[in-house]
Amino acid sequence: MPTPLRRSPVLAAIAVVSLAALAACGSGSGSKSDSSSAKGSGASRVTISLASGSNGDECQVDTTKVDAGPVTFTIDNKSATAITEVELQSDQKILGERENLAPGLPSTSFTLTLGGGNYTIYCPGASDEDVDFTVTGKAAPTPTGSAATLLAQGTKSYATYVSTQVNAMVTAVKNLQRAVDSGDVAAAQEKYALARPFYEKIESDVEGFVLPGHKPTDNAGNLDYLIDMRASNLDPKVGWHGFHAVERDLFARKAITPSTKKLAAELTRNVQSLAKLSKSLTYKPEDLANGAAGLLEEVQTNKISGEEEKYSHIDLVDFAANVEGAEESFASLKPGLTKIDPGLTKQITQRFAAVDRMLDGYRDAQALGGYERYTPQLKKTDANKLSQTVQALQDPLASIAEKVATAG
Amino acid sequence: MSDVPTSDPRSAAGEPPAGRRGFSRRRLLAGAGAGTGLVIGAAAGFAGGRASASSASESGGDVVDLDRSYDFYTGTHQAGIQTEPQRYCVYMTFDLGEVTTQDLQVLLARWSAGIAQLMAGQPVGAVEPDRADAVADDTGEAYGLQPSSLTVTVGLGPGVFDERFGLAAKKPTLLADLPALPSDALKPELTGGDLSLQACADDPQVAYHAIRDLARMGRGTVTTRWTVMGFGRASAGKGQQTPRNLMGFKDGTRNIKDAADFDRFVWVGGSENQAWMRGGTYQVVRKIEMNIETWDADRISDQENVFGRTKQEGAPLTGRSEFDTPRFDEKKDGRPVIPATSHIALAAHENNNGIKILRRPYNYTDGINDLGHLDAGLLFICYQNDPGHFIRLQTKLGGSDLLNEYISHVGSGIFAIPPAPKPGHYLAEGLFT
Repeated sequence: MPTPLRRSPVLAAIAVVSLAALAACGSGSGSKSDSSSAKGSGASRVTISLASGSNGDECQVDTTKVDAGPVTFTIDNKSATAITEVELQSDQKILGERENLAPGLPSTSFTLTLGGGNYTIYCPGASDEDVDFTVTGKAAPTPTGSAATLLAQGTKSYATYVSTQVNAMVTAVKNLQRAVDSGDVAAAQEKYALARPFYEKIESDVEGFVLPGHKPTDNAGNLDYLIDMRASNLDPKVGWHGFHAVERDLFARKAITPSTKKLAAELTRNVQSLAKLSKSLTYKPEDLANGAAGLLEEVQTNKISGEEEKYSHIDLVDFAANVEGAEESFASLKPGLTKIDPGLTKQITQRFAAVDRMLDGYRDAQALGGYERYTPQLKKTDANKLSQTVQALQDPLASIAEKVATAG
Repeated sequence: MSDVPTSDPRSAAGEPPAGRRGFSRRRLLAGAGAGTGLVIGAAAGFAGGRASASSASESGGDVVDLDRSYDFYTGTHQAGIQTEPQRYCVYMTFDLGEVTTQDLQVLLARWSAGIAQLMAGQPVGAVEPDRADAVADDTGEAYGLQPSSLTVTVGLGPGVFDERFGLAAKKPTLLADLPALPSDALKPELTGGDLSLQACADDPQVAYHAIRDLARMGRGTVTTRWTVMGFGRASAGKGQQTPRNLMGFKDGTRNIKDAADFDRFVWVGGSENQAWMRGGTYQVVRKIEMNIETWDADRISDQENVFGRTKQEGAPLTGRSEFDTPRFDEKKDGRPVIPATSHIALAAHENNNGIKILRRPYNYTDGINDLGHLDAGLLFICYQNDPGHFIRLQTKLGGSDLLNEYISHVGSGIFAIPPAPKPGHYLAEGLFT
């Protein structure tokens, strides 16, 4: 049954859903078990109580049958330590959920408009995880604004983003090649920094391509190897190609040789091949989510370590590009994800903003690529902050693939 | 008493605990050192319905039963203070980032629920989720391991009550950053923190898993600040044999052991004006580096004068056995037998207006330092109902302790330890109501 709201000067962040809904539940409709009396002021009300019992933590639902229409689910964790989230599902698809549940926190709620049919209240960690839930009345027509529809629209806009980046990369690499051909080291360094971000923005989508006629295990046909391989991971049989071989010539040797020109021309050919092959890409919502998480892994593994741009030290340029790519993926999923879990969506939005704010602090219009050089000294003083700020985003971002893959 | 061992009710009912299905093997660790003998039944009180399968190893009365677990929701004191010291400890402090009071509230509630799960020997969520795209909530490395007497003790640093969270009015009067103390050689990166976690267990992997998963829960709200992994306990609880620190001397012979002393010196009493802090205590932690190589080259008579005790037996220099009361006024050839600047003379309650603190330290090692020396020492953790007691003792010790030649305080922190919540509540809930 609904319990009165705990009087607290601060409502937990998880409970910011709707003050009105919380207050309504606080005024209490009593222990009503039939659908008609559980309904009042437009929305049916369902209270889900989480409590530890003799068989472990239990997920108790006061009403398992309501009329079609808006339904407000209020979740109150009284004493269940093993249950930290509750979902409403239909056919294994998540329609709505609340996370970060813990005993003692104020109750939290969410409202969904449900058509007639069978649903499941899923309480992972409970002794009985699934509670059947029935909605009587007209089956809802396939909603135009459902989470799944919105997510599918998002993947389309993301596909456009990727092809824009690929095309821009081809242009930028051609500019790099032209500067290398001119023999002007300073100009080529500048064009190098301008060409780098595009691949970093979409790396997780395009890193799987193999040139026609090559086996997947053959690095001589692996486009990611040919375009973006660093000195630390070379395959001696295939040798060094791509951006970072050019980077070594321009920044370590500070010299353009015939070999540099050959590398730059080859890089142009390879990004052109990549542009052609990437036209075949299609995306599921979880691909975007996994790709975004993958880009942040790139940040943690290669940028904060300073390994990516060992000679030019423009790691923060790549860092910002990885973050932009991840943010673009997330933005494409955001309308659908908001339907599923507005709290989580807001949290991730805020943490992207925190990373962006942090990166803004390193902007330097005079520097190559627009960001401070990531020198060993800067790494020593700032790597901890950079890494922990990204980590705070990485964890919740990694959790969204599951949700968008199963969205209803 | 707050932290009496309990057996898992599900175990007592003959069922494996949730998340541990099919796992009922009992595992017991032999006590440290030689001379172990089996004691049947010593652990039976903890084992409930499964006592028939129980056996325990002990050395000098020191029983380790990996099936033992402690309750989190006692409503009295947090575990990990009066609890008999476990073999291992991982200690970590955290800084609160740019977060709201609500974020802090949710973290303390999530930590409370998580700690309750962990102390019962259960994962904090699925180790292997059903959905292919899901990320596991529990990191898994303690899956199948017993509760191992895990306790996790949560502390709130002075920073919780600064201008960021609007909680200044809830600040306990006695909580403040420690003043600079004589001989301090504190490194900023090993000092301070807004929150602390002390995870102790008889299996190091269980302690580490607890810290790892709680740190993971905190990401985005807190950032890690410093940590020490204690590999061997260096203090005794009631009924435990006095262990040794890395200097080879018994540590904690005269430690607080009786309930009356806990009430008098450790627990914050009913007169505390911050109601949420009653039944709590204050934790002071110091990372103390030892100059191992120099100490090892010191002659035995000097080592014994430094401590004021014999090395093997641990007897005061004025006595014959460990628990003989030291006689600080006893002289030989006109000089005190126990040097006035020996460690025990400076720290003894007789010489400090009767003040006692609860010491709960662990030995640690960080490997090898820049000079190729063994990098090791003592993770000194103490509990008292007035941090002024520690300050008074350390002011004296830091000023003239003979031991100072061989040690250096490099890390430090102070934390208010709220009492344990009742079921359905969370740690320091009173801050938010």
